[in-house]
Amino acid sequence: MNGKIIECRKLVSLIRRNTKCYFKDKFMFFISMITPLILLILFATFLRNVYIESFKSAFPENFTVDNRILEGITGAWLMSSILSVSSVTVAFCSNVIMINDKIDGNLNDLRVSPVKGTTVSLAYFISNFFVTFIVMMCLMLIGHIYLACVGWYISVGDAFMIIVDVFCGVLFGTLLAGVVESFISNQGGLSAVSTLVSSMYGFICGAYMPLSTFAAGLRNVLGCLPGTYGVGILRNHYMSGYLDALADAGLPSEAIEGIRASFDAKIEVFGTEIPLGAMYGILLGTCAVLLAAYILIVVFKNKKKKAAV
Amino acid sequence: MIIEIENLQKSFKDIKAVDGVSFKVKEGELFAFLGVNGAGKSTTINIISGILQKDGGIVKVCGHDLDKETEQVKNDLGIVFQNSVLDKKMSVYDNLKSRANLYGIFGAEFKKRLEEITELLDLKDILKRPISKLSGGQKRRIDIARALFHNPKLLILDEPTTGLDPKTRITVWSVIEKLRKESGLTVFLTTHYMEEASTADYVVILDGGKKVAEGTPHELKNKYASDYIRFYNQTEQAEKAASAFGLPIKRERDYLEVELKNTAQVADIFKKNPEVFEDFEVLKGNMDNVFLKVTGKDLSEV
Repeated sequence: MNGKIIECRKLVSLIRRNTKCYFKDKFMFFISMITPLILLILFATFLRNVYIESFKSAFPENFTVDNRILEGITGAWLMSSILSVSSVTVAFCSNVIMINDKIDGNLNDLRVSPVKGTTVSLAYFISNFFVTFIVMMCLMLIGHIYLACVGWYISVGDAFMIIVDVFCGVLFGTLLAGVVESFISNQGGLSAVSTLVSSMYGFICGAYMPLSTFAAGLRNVLGCLPGTYGVGILRNHYMSGYLDALADAGLPSEAIEGIRASFDAKIEVFGTEIPLGAMYGILLGTCAVLLAAYILIVVFKNKKKKAAV
Repeated sequence: MIIEIENLQKSFKDIKAVDGVSFKVKEGELFAFLGVNGAGKSTTINIISGILQKDGGIVKVCGHDLDKETEQVKNDLGIVFQNSVLDKKMSVYDNLKSRANLYGIFGAEFKKRLEEITELLDLKDILKRPISKLSGGQKRRIDIARALFHNPKLLILDEPTTGLDPKTRITVWSVIEKLRKESGLTVFLTTHYMEEASTADYVVILDGGKKVAEGTPHELKNKYASDYIRFYNQTEQAEKAASAFGLPIKRERDYLEVELKNTAQVADIFKKNPEVFEDFEVLKGNMDNVFLKVTGKDLSEV
């Protein structure tokens, strides 16, 4: 059999092993799901009215609208926040297989077998991508059931694009996790990084608080971070159908634009609006840079480890 | 020769972990690497198995140069690490399958080899069970099965029984013995248990990264260990008799132990003092004595 085909089959086998290891441990899956689910439950029970009032404040006086649109758009906004943050936090959390292999000595076991170090590293990345994407799809499904209950105004096209957005977000998250966690070799380090990312990322990418609520300087700084656009693309596709429904209900276009700007469907950096296509460009461009960094780290680490374990 | 190592060198910063070690392992033998923690055993194994890069020296496994034919060397050897590296949540079958795949064993070839390994190591009843539900001895059997799946010519066991209870240690050793008997496999063992080293065909003792002694257990005992005679009564008379010969004496609660210069000396003492030979035994020097003599360290205390 051709050597390259065998190496590909080894890669597939390693991906299957890593993914199975993750899902066989129900606690790991539970941990990945719990934070986003808590956010969703907190929103539905405590914060829903606060967000509804925020949307209402953008409406002209005496403008009334079907409550399902209002409930739906606030839920959709929250879903865009949860999915964009989770695509990074879940990726950091689910990369635990790679860290555990280092801690338990399984990595040495892999290295005595005739499989290339790059294949092993690539398998960690791809399996982490699969795991994170599956967790995200589960979260999305739960969120969409919620949206269907309170008010569903998302078109088939937008629903499809939401999956594409999640794909891009997960790609970004897994590559970022791969690069950062390449330097971690113990459980304490993993916990520290996961906690840091979970608590900070939602704020610095404008997921928990709209960028429009920050000072102009900070808004411009956050606009330079690629994660902001992971949120932006999801905001656009989640809110688009609801904004159309509001327009159909007679909300003036100025008010619609105001909502888009206030709730980050429209992002301006240094006074320039970043179009949707550019958001994808920035996000995927960053993915390309992270991929190059990941490859360099893998090559460097494979050489270094042999000399100094 | 299945392993040929010449002047192996490895340092970690200022510490010389392996300092000019040379040895050979013959095909089909049980070879033991004996030493305390930090003696250089695991470093040498990590170099042979390709985990670590050596600083100098020549390593050949099954005639393949480690520097030039690394992939071939990896296919020639199977290794059982000190700590089990099994995926605990996965089944025995899954663990074996993912390991086999890494060696390019798929489909029908995997099934055929699985049948052989299952029969050889008696795994049929536990094949579908998750690793977390297995006993220590069963887990060690799976570790060995994984290491053997690709049919290596050499099995490396890095302290395979460390931390195991006595019953499990016996189980693991019976598996290793069965393997050697049935397949003629070469086994390279690192250990700090003397009773394990004494069953080996050839022993190399490492200390501070250097080879300090080598030979068969019999040769090592003859060269480095003294024989002893123990007297269980008449100890006062026995002490006088031994003193007359100028032999070292050790008093214990139940007996008096006299270190002999050679086994024939028993006859000399008997001729002159037959009355002290009422309740006694003559003991051959053991590997503990050998180790103490060549390293100055008592393994039971380190």
